[in-house]
Amino acid sequence: MPAVLTVDPRSGVPIYLQIIEQIKRSIALGVLQVGEQLPTVKQLAIDLTVNPNTVGRAYRELEREQVIETAPGRGSFVRANGATELPRVAAEIGRDALDVALREAKSVNLGREEVRELFETALTRWFPSFEK
Amino acid sequence: MSTITISNLRKIYAGVPAVDGFSLEIPGGSVFGILGPNGAGKTTTFKCMLGLARADSGEVLYDGKALVPQMFEQIAYVPERSVLYEWMTVDEHVEMTRRAFSRFDAARAAELLAQFNIDKRKRARALSKGMRTAVMVALAFSRNAEILVLDEPTGGLDPVNQRHVLSLMINEAAKGNSVVFSSHQIGQVERAAEHIAVMDRGRLILQGLVDDLKADRKIVEGIFPDVNFTLDGIANDSRVARADRTERIVRLLVTAGADEIAARLSGAGAVGVRVLDLNLEDIFLYAVSPATATTDVVAKENSL
Repeated sequence: MPAVLTVDPRSGVPIYLQIIEQIKRSIALGVLQVGEQLPTVKQLAIDLTVNPNTVGRAYRELEREQVIETAPGRGSFVRANGATELPRVAAEIGRDALDVALREAKSVNLGREEVRELFETALTRWFPSFEK
Repeated sequence: MSTITISNLRKIYAGVPAVDGFSLEIPGGSVFGILGPNGAGKTTTFKCMLGLARADSGEVLYDGKALVPQMFEQIAYVPERSVLYEWMTVDEHVEMTRRAFSRFDAARAAELLAQFNIDKRKRARALSKGMRTAVMVALAFSRNAEILVLDEPTGGLDPVNQRHVLSLMINEAAKGNSVVFSSHQIGQVERAAEHIAVMDRGRLILQGLVDDLKADRKIVEGIFPDVNFTLDGIANDSRVARADRTERIVRLLVTAGADEIAARLSGAGAVGVRVLDLNLEDIFLYAVSPATATTDVVAKENSL
């Protein structure tokens, strides 16, 4: 398990959501590989100094979303249904980030066309045309 | 995994109710944090739970049963104030606790005291406030108790040892034991507690899962182009707990449905509508001090 998993308890974002987001990100980046074993709920709770039930809640949600699977007595694993998981998780992270950006843009009264222009500019900056 | 049920607890000291009709269910196998300003009734509640104070009315039940002396073995308590005997050494306290509690693990106590850098040959009177707390914590966590009641278990400790106490609490919960604790340091409660209850003037004013409170409670903020705006009854929505209006800015504390209320605020003509997250400190301050949590926060019936 990546040592990069950290939580910020003082954030307004629930801790279990922070854990979910970071595990998804680790999968999308290949830090956690398909089929790889996750730490036990107890171990991760101790590592992060957060309540075991909070970690358990994150794991249950990840199971429900079919990101991980738990084999009784063996532990939790990144779901082993091939490479299809990776783009899906990555797409979810991208979609959530765009949602946040668009909500901000809307809150300061930018119009659809203005947002489109800004988006095109940003797109060119981050993904120059010679890149895929 | 005992569930602790506190029902209508009342305790009056010199005519003043320290605990005033307090009810709470503390589920087994979790870390439960009790928050509240000084004098909120946290310590009195703990004393009534442990049989150290006699309630004037109401009761505390463990899995439906009243506390009996046979259960003392299962419950460990760290009081807010030192109960160490000034003339006794740390080692003698370990020995005394070993004699009193059959499940006490003296090797574990020695290990914990070493982790807290406590010299066991010292007499209690030579210990600082933080060292006294550490000794009481070490003794309590060596009892193999199923329920730990900790009143300010990090008082006087440095940040490293504070974190160590939190880790010990998490360990107990991972073993299925219950931890109930109070702390003035909201950051600790936020990190370690699954559930919280906020007490104020002897009463329960807020409780829930920390993560759910954060997910549900938000500030919805909007700016109106003109000072003469109306909120179309949004402030009367039962999910709006508080409304703060200054000039053209309106700030609503909502207990659920933030996105929907934000949409209604936009519909009423507000621009720059934002939904802001609250951390536990914000949630706590809004709960206990409606008039001072932010500037100009007023009860909604008075303002809008």
